[in-house]
Amino acid sequence: MLVVSCKATVRPCDWEGKQQDVSQETCLYNKYRTLGKKGVEIMTLKKCFVFCFLVLCQIISAQQDSITKLKEVIVSDINLKKYAASQSVQVLNDSVISKNQSSLTSLLNYNTVIYLKENGLGMTSTPSFRGTTGSQTAVIWNGININSQFLGQTDFNTIGTRDFNSIAVKAGGGSILYGSGAIGGSIHLNNDLSFKNNFSNQVFFSAGSYDTYSANYRLAASSEKYSFQANISRNSSENDFKYPGNTNQKNINGEYYNTSLNTNFGYKINSNNTLKIYSQFYDSERHFSLTSPTASKTKYNDFNTRSLLEWENVSNRFTSKVKAAYISESYKYFPSITSDFFTFGKVETAIIKYDLAFDVSDKIKLNSIIDYNRNKGYGSSIDNVKREIGSASLLLRHLVTDKWDYTASIRQELTDNYGNPFLFSLGTRYQFADFYRVKLNASKNYRMPTYNDLFWEGSGNPNLKPETSYQAEIGNEFFTKNFSLSVTGYYNSIKDLLRWVPSEGGGDTWSPENTSKVRAYGAEVLLEWKTKIDNHHFTINGTYAYTVSESKQLIKGEVLYKQLVYVPYHKLTGAVSYNWKKISSYLQYLYNGEVYSTPFNSISGKIKDYNVGNFGVDYDFGTKNSYKLGFQVLNILNENYQPVISRQMPGRNYTIYINLNF
Amino acid sequence: MKKLNKLFLAVIVSSAFFASCSSDDDNTPAVARGNYDGGLFIVNEGNNGTTNGTISFLSSDLKIENNVFTLVNSDKISGDTPQSIGINGDFAYIITNGSNKIELVNRFTFKSIATITTGLNNPRFIAFANGKGYVTNWGEPGSPTDDYVAVLDLTTNTVTSKIPVAEGPEKIIQNDAKLYVAHKGGWNQGNSLTIISAVTNTVTSNLTVGDVPSSLVKDNGTLYILCDGKPYYADVETAGKIVKLNLSTNTITSTINFPEKTHPGFLDIENSKLYYTIGTDVYSTAVSATTLPAASIFKASKVTNLYGFAVKNNQIYFADAVNYSDDGDIYIYSLTGTLSNTFGVGITPNGFYFNN
Repeated sequence: MLVVSCKATVRPCDWEGKQQDVSQETCLYNKYRTLGKKGVEIMTLKKCFVFCFLVLCQIISAQQDSITKLKEVIVSDINLKKYAASQSVQVLNDSVISKNQSSLTSLLNYNTVIYLKENGLGMTSTPSFRGTTGSQTAVIWNGININSQFLGQTDFNTIGTRDFNSIAVKAGGGSILYGSGAIGGSIHLNNDLSFKNNFSNQVFFSAGSYDTYSANYRLAASSEKYSFQANISRNSSENDFKYPGNTNQKNINGEYYNTSLNTNFGYKINSNNTLKIYSQFYDSERHFSLTSPTASKTKYNDFNTRSLLEWENVSNRFTSKVKAAYISESYKYFPSITSDFFTFGKVETAIIKYDLAFDVSDKIKLNSIIDYNRNKGYGSSIDNVKREIGSASLLLRHLVTDKWDYTASIRQELTDNYGNPFLFSLGTRYQFADFYRVKLNASKNYRMPTYNDLFWEGSGNPNLKPETSYQAEIGNEFFTKNFSLSVTGYYNSIKDLLRWVPSEGGGDTWSPENTSKVRAYGAEVLLEWKTKIDNHHFTINGTYAYTVSESKQLIKGEVLYKQLVYVPYHKLTGAVSYNWKKISSYLQYLYNGEVYSTPFNSISGKIKDYNVGNFGVDYDFGTKNSYKLGFQVLNILNENYQPVISRQMPGRNYTIYINLNF
Repeated sequence: MKKLNKLFLAVIVSSAFFASCSSDDDNTPAVARGNYDGGLFIVNEGNNGTTNGTISFLSSDLKIENNVFTLVNSDKISGDTPQSIGINGDFAYIITNGSNKIELVNRFTFKSIATITTGLNNPRFIAFANGKGYVTNWGEPGSPTDDYVAVLDLTTNTVTSKIPVAEGPEKIIQNDAKLYVAHKGGWNQGNSLTIISAVTNTVTSNLTVGDVPSSLVKDNGTLYILCDGKPYYADVETAGKIVKLNLSTNTITSTINFPEKTHPGFLDIENSKLYYTIGTDVYSTAVSATTLPAASIFKASKVTNLYGFAVKNNQIYFADAVNYSDDGDIYIYSLTGTLSNTFGVGITPNGFYFNN
C-alpha cells in the first residue's frame, strides 16, 4: 500500500481485483499524484432513507415478534419496512452495540455473516457481503448513502457504532431504495428520534490494553412535540501490542484516535407536519501500522460531515417527505510522518429527495421517489469536477391476504456520464404456517464507477459502464415466540465488474475496465433463541455463511473459475448471553475460514483460518437507574492471526468499562 | 505447508551440497564456494506493503529454488519489496525498498552477514567503486529535493555520507572511479544523468539525456542509456530514445530516437548487440547502429506482464509479473525466439543477477 514500494510511479499495488481500500487508494494517489491534474468526479448515489428496524423475522403487522425487541421508537424509514420485507434484515440494537467494541468492523465481524478485511486492528477495513467486494456494500446513514465518492466504499473503521441507536444489516440487492453499491447488501446506521416524554443520559467509558480508551456521552430529551439527541464519542489507542507468540515484534505506528459529534432534532409542527434534522461530524487520525519495522511511517486523516433536513407532511392517504442533505468527505494522506507533505481529496455532495407515498387502500401502497444528487470533488489529483445524477422510482406493495404480500419496484437513473441504468425489484412472502414463512426476491442492482475509476488523471476511463447485478434469493423463516431460524440461499451474477488492470505487455499503466464477471452463490443461516430458567436468562445467537464467489481467470492460457480474493468459503459467529439478577455475561465466538489473497488462488498466498473468542461480564450497581461496571477479555484464546497478509492482530487483551444510564 | 516446503527445500539444498562434495568426477570446480555458486538470482518484489518479497535462485544446471534468503536464514525475511541486488566480491547486497534496508549476504552461501537499516530512505539500486557502495535513494515521497546517493562503507557496513542529487535516482553504474546515476524520476519523470566522483564523493556533473532514463548498460567505453519517454498521461507525451555517452569524455556522442508515442522497456547488451523491448517484442541491433531496426526479432508471447529482462550467454531472460499478485514466472528464450525453459518464481519478479 505504500507508494514507496511501488516501482517507480507505477504499481498500483493491490489495486487488482478492485479489492480497494483506503490504503490502496492512497497508493493510487501517490502513484498518480505526480501525473498532473485532471478532474474527477463522481457522484453520489445514495438514496433513500432508511432507518430500519427489521428483524430476523420480519415483523408482520399484527404479529408480535418478541425476538426483535424493538424499542418504542418512531420508524422514520418506513420504506425499509415496507419494501424490503421479502429480504433478510438483521437489527443490532443498543444492547448488542454496547457489548461490542466501538468500531463497525468489530460489531459486524462478531454478529453478522459479513466478512471484514481488516488491515490490522483499527486500520482500513472493508466488507465482503455475500461474496462481493468492499464497493458492493452500501452504508446508509439515516437513509443517505455515504460510501466514499473516491472509492465507492466505506472504511468500516471510520464508523463508530455508539453514535447510533440501532444498526440494521440488510442482505442482498437494494439499489432501488439505496442506490449505487447496494449489491451484496447494505448497512443502515440509524438515529431514532422518539416523541414521548423522556430525559435520559448515558455515559460510557472504557479503558483497555495498549492504552485504548473509548468514551461516549448521550443525551436524549423529548416531549410529544420535540425530540433532541446529542452524542459525543471519542476513541483512541496507542495500539502498540506485542505480537503474540515467540517474537519481540510489536505493532509499530498503529496509533489512532477519532472523535465524532452527533446532534439530532425533531419537531412536530402540528399533527400533519414534522421536521427532523440530523448532523454528524467525524474526525480521525490513524497511523498505519508497519508491516516491516523499518518501513516508512505513514498516517491518514479523515474528516467527514453529514447533515440532513427532513420534512414530512401527512394528509389523508398521502404522505410526502422532502429530504435535503449535504455530505462532505475529505482525507489527507501523509506518506511520511516526518514530512509535512500530504495528498488530499475532498468531495461535497448535495442531495434532494422527494418521496410521495399514497395508500390506495389498506392493502395497496404506492411510493414514488424522485431524487437528485450533485457533487463536486477536488484534491491532489482532481481539479474541480462536478457531477449530477437524478433518478425516479416507483414502488408498489400489495398485501393480498394476511399471509401473502408482494412488492414490485422500478427505478430509472439519469446520469451525465455512465449510462442510464434501469433497475427493478420483485419480492414476495407467504406464511405457510404460524411458525413458517417463505420469502422470494429478485432484483437488478448496480454500482456506478467511482471518481477514481472515471477521472483519475492518466488512468481514469470515461467510457466505463456501471457494474450490474442480477440476483435472486429464497428465504425460509421458522419462528416461535422465543426462537427464530432463517435459512437463505442466493445466486448473484455481476457483470462488467470494474477492475484496474495493467496495460498490455507490462509497463507502467494501469487503468480501470469493465472486465470480468462474478458469479456468487451461497447460503446464510441466522439463529436466535431465548430462554429462561427461573431468573436465569439465556440468549443464543448464531450466524453461518457459506459463500462461493468466482471470477474467470486466464492462467497460462487456460480459463479457470477462481474464488475472489478475501472471500472465505465459511464464516461462523456465535454468541451466548447469560443474565442473572444484576449480572450479565456473554461469550462471542468468530470463525473465519481460509481466504485467498491472490486472483489465481495460489497456495502460497492463502491466509489461514482463525478462531477468536471474547468474554465479558458486568454488574449493575443501580436500582432505579443502571450503573454497570464491566470487564472484557478479548481474543481469549490468544489466537495468533493475520486477517490480511502481513497484518497482525493482537493476542489476548483486556478492557474495563462503566456504563451509566440515568 | 510452509514448513513442509522448507523441509523439502532443505532436503534439496543439502542433497545438492552432498552432491557437490562427492562429485569429483564431473567438471564442476572441485570445491564449490557454496550452494549458490554460478547460476543467477531473481528478485521478486512481492506485494507492496507486505513482507512477501523473496529471492529465487536458478542454478547453472537449471534448477529453480525459491525463497532462498529465508530458506538459508530461517529467522529472517527479505522484507517489503526487495528492489535489486548488487554483487561485489563475495557479497550480495539485497536492496529492500519498502523496508528501507539492505540485507547483506555471502553470495555463494546466501548466509546473512548484516542488515543495514540506517541512512536509507526508499533505496533503489547499488553500485560499487573505490571500495565503497553507492545506493540510490528517493527520499521522502513528497519531496523532490531530498533524493540522494548513500555512500556505504563496505567494511563497517554503515552509511557514512549522503550525496544529494536530482529527483528520482534509479539505476547506477560504475566505471573506473566514477558513478553514473540515471534519474528516472522517482514519483515524477526525470530526464538526466548524474556523474559522481567516487574519490571526492561529490557530483561532478549532471546532464540531460532524455525523458525517463530507465536502463544503463556499459560496453567497450560507451554507456548506453535507454530512455522510455514520458507516458501518455504525462503533461506532454514523448517518445523513447537510446543515448550513447563516451565514458572517457563523459559527453553524449549520439542519440537514436524512437518513433512518436513509442516507449521501449528494457535494454541489455550481448556480443556487441543491443537488445531492447517494446511491449513483449524484442528488438536487436548492433551497438554501432545509428538507426533502429524496423522489425522485432520475436515476440515473447508467453509473457503477460514483462517486468524484468536480461540477455546473457546467448539466451534472453524474461520476468513475467503476471497479475502482480500471484507468483510470477521466468521464461528463457534463445536469441532467435525459441522458448527453452519456464520456471515459476516468487511474486512480481523484476530482475536477474548472474552470480558468476
